[in-house]
Amino acid sequence: MRGPRAFLRIWAGSLAGLGFLAVAFNLAVDPYEVFGTPRMAGISLFKPITKNHAMLAKTNQVARFHPATVVIGSSPIHIGIDASTPVWPEAMGPVFNYGIPGVYETSTSLRILQEAVATGGVKSAVVFLDFQNFFSPEDPDPALLEADRRFRSLPDGNPNPDSRMQRANDMFLSVATAGALIDSVTTVALQRRPNVLDLASDGSGTEADFIDAARNDGMHDLFAQKDAAEAVRAAKLAPVMAGWRGPLPDLDAVAAIVAFARARDIGLTLVIAPHHVDALELYWRAGLWPRVEQLKTELTALVAAQHGAVTLWDFLDYSSFNIEPVPAAGDRRTPTSWFWEPTHFKKQLGDVMIQRMFGRSAPAFGMILTADTVAVRNAEIRAARRSLVCERKQPVLTALESPPTDRCVRIETPNRPT
Amino acid sequence: MLFNSYIFIFAFLPPVLAVFYVLGARSREAALSWLIAASLLFYAWWRPLNILLIAPSILINYGIACYLKRIGHSNPAHARVVLIGGVVFNLCFLGYFKYIAFGEQALNDIFDAGLPLTQVILPLGISFITFQKIAFLVDVHAGRIERFTFREYALFVLFFPQIIAGPIVHYREMMPQFKVASCRFDAEDVSVGISLFFFGLAKKSILADPIGRVIGPLYDHAASGVPQSLADAWIAALGFTLQIYFDFSGYCDMALGIARLFGIKLPVNFNSPLKARSVIDFWARWHITLTRFLTAYIYMPMTLYLMRRRAANGQPARRTRDAKVATFLGLLAVPTILTMLVSGLWHGAGYTFILWGLLHGLLLCVNHAWRLIRPRIWPDTASYNRLAAPAAFMLTFLSVVFAMVLFRSPTVAGAAMLWKGMIGVYGAAMPRAILSHLGPIGGLLVQLGVQPAWTSGTMFVGAAARIGVLLFIALALPNTLELLALYQPALGVKPAGAPGRLLRFVAWKPTGTWAVSLACVALAGILSLGELHEFLYWRF
Repeated sequence: MRGPRAFLRIWAGSLAGLGFLAVAFNLAVDPYEVFGTPRMAGISLFKPITKNHAMLAKTNQVARFHPATVVIGSSPIHIGIDASTPVWPEAMGPVFNYGIPGVYETSTSLRILQEAVATGGVKSAVVFLDFQNFFSPEDPDPALLEADRRFRSLPDGNPNPDSRMQRANDMFLSVATAGALIDSVTTVALQRRPNVLDLASDGSGTEADFIDAARNDGMHDLFAQKDAAEAVRAAKLAPVMAGWRGPLPDLDAVAAIVAFARARDIGLTLVIAPHHVDALELYWRAGLWPRVEQLKTELTALVAAQHGAVTLWDFLDYSSFNIEPVPAAGDRRTPTSWFWEPTHFKKQLGDVMIQRMFGRSAPAFGMILTADTVAVRNAEIRAARRSLVCERKQPVLTALESPPTDRCVRIETPNRPT
Repeated sequence: MLFNSYIFIFAFLPPVLAVFYVLGARSREAALSWLIAASLLFYAWWRPLNILLIAPSILINYGIACYLKRIGHSNPAHARVVLIGGVVFNLCFLGYFKYIAFGEQALNDIFDAGLPLTQVILPLGISFITFQKIAFLVDVHAGRIERFTFREYALFVLFFPQIIAGPIVHYREMMPQFKVASCRFDAEDVSVGISLFFFGLAKKSILADPIGRVIGPLYDHAASGVPQSLADAWIAALGFTLQIYFDFSGYCDMALGIARLFGIKLPVNFNSPLKARSVIDFWARWHITLTRFLTAYIYMPMTLYLMRRRAANGQPARRTRDAKVATFLGLLAVPTILTMLVSGLWHGAGYTFILWGLLHGLLLCVNHAWRLIRPRIWPDTASYNRLAAPAAFMLTFLSVVFAMVLFRSPTVAGAAMLWKGMIGVYGAAMPRAILSHLGPIGGLLVQLGVQPAWTSGTMFVGAAARIGVLLFIALALPNTLELLALYQPALGVKPAGAPGRLLRFVAWKPTGTWAVSLACVALAGILSLGELHEFLYWRF
């Protein structure tokens, strides 16, 4: 026995030494992309843990990346849009994917756009809009959330006094916590795994989770699971919208995005994100399709007032991309071409959209909405739905095998803004 | 200030200790005065107003105690009145701050009184401090404390390692230690102290907090009326039992460790309660100093009063094995249930805590009744202890887990919903992904009625694995007191006469191996402080 004094010396020395090693290891692996430590093959080439810390990772990445174009949206954009795909026009590069998975509201897009622009050099922005967000009033939180505290500016454009402290806190938590150490070890451990999840330095996410799930459970289960979740969501949104009067919720957030972009001479493209027919049908059956049409009409009016400075693309339709059939239950081999599940599209479809919006040639998919085209577009989609859902004798949808009960295309006039 | 915070570990404790040792080398009195000042700073850190709320109460109690000491022997009747006045004052003080809003809510619920709810700032640790002050007055009145100064009294009440969440200490077990404490650096005390502290920190931040994050949503869902399946309900019940177990165990270890850094040994407060083989045994291991207080100052006086009254009425006044049901009810069941009702109320101002206390009171009565009946139906105590031990352990464990649901649920309805889930009223469900990977067993489970659910298989497996590990640690491994028994980690703890092979092997000693191991434990605990989590017992 060495005695208590020796015990204390060894303990203090071990604690300091081990603490130093833990911090150095976290710094070297940089599991959340906070420091931009050079990636090392076999150790930190892939960053699978950023999956749960996308806002933290991308807010640090974008400051190092200095993009000319920023793509903004929720998890479908994070996964489905490849910022480094060659289909982007050269003039728009470098492109950064600022899609954030998780709970997402349209006002977040404005905050993200503000943050990206604050890094300097952003000339154009592509903002994807989830139609469901417009059917639920946002619940403003008077206190700044963690992500908000991290941003360089406040929602009103003034400098954020909390930003430096939050970023210092981010750095501390990224090197001096057990969670970071576990995530660093996990990052290293997953490097050799085939098909590992990653976050590229341009913000693009990988599809590894979906690839694994499709291999293990089959595409049908992926669709069925999301259908169940979207059905719950639609059922919650329907009563909110039933008595809604005036412009749709979140439209003011889009107006703020437009105003911000125009004030800084940033080329803005708004995109109504594509969904698979399963999701579309769920919202039809929940009685929300008139609101989808109202959304397109109101967005068109908003964009029209900008006299061509802003473009509005609509990919929410019944095109051949959106209605691709889903493999049968139990089939774990047959892939889909365009969608992982009803709300998440594949990178192939992302490329098609980029080509369609910014390239010279692309398949007919989606269209630019203008005051002249929106009514026709809405009518065409109704007709397409009639053709697909009402007149088909066999069910075509994954989890929605019961026939529609809404006489299919009877549309009630939505409440117009007063 | 939380024990499990950077500010306490790095900014408060080291300088307080350093100054204490430096002053102690020159003047013991100065070191103890510094300890009082540091305790005040600790108490005021969260909300300085706390000091203004608690200081008058401390002064009044000190005045009452001085008066009691002066008149104690000369005028017993008057002293008794003064004591009762002091106790009532303390109970009113506690009642106002802790129970006024609940009382108004209860009146509104029962009589639809429409009373506005009074918003009161609850002084930290008020329940602990109040009980300690009451015990002090009773001890002074009984002549068990003959001499005390204001500084000693202040040190007794404010000593920061135990001020907010116990243990509830007696003056007579603390003051003799302060009177002989060297107040200087003692390598053995510091070695034992930091070991206890970091074991406690690891229990809190590595074992208790993560499972709390898993079970929180389950209780919220149940409280909002969402039925919980069999597996989820059991995860909620077992998970919370283990969360509060390691939370409170961790806190007690940290309190013991911090006190030991100052050369003071606190009484044992937690001793592997989940290993108990009866509910009586459980309460002899869980929050031991509270049980001690309730027994000494509520249960025993009530029982004595009832015995005297029964004796005066010519009724049997002793609890024997031949006692009639009425005697059992009158002399044991009534005081037990009332005492546990107080225990429930002490833990929290809410219906769930009241029911939790009553439920434990009922369980204790059943336990006492079985102790009286068992010798008649199973006279061989040796064989009973040998054969019935596993069943006794399981029954106790399940009873405690079942009752803990009330302790955590925001509402009684939420607890009822979870209880129904635990007995399968809402059916059994498992994540679809797990069932599909179980192959034929999954198919069998589905045939038996287990429903596939679109819930996360990873979370389900993670929660089940975590509960399994925590149960193993709680039930199979030696506790901290046993590990450090050679160095008397708490008052009254002595090495086991014949320690088991595992304990002999792992017993704490100031060796290099233990120093490095403790450094790993300490580092894990410190690194887990990234998010702050309050100790559950700090809210009482």
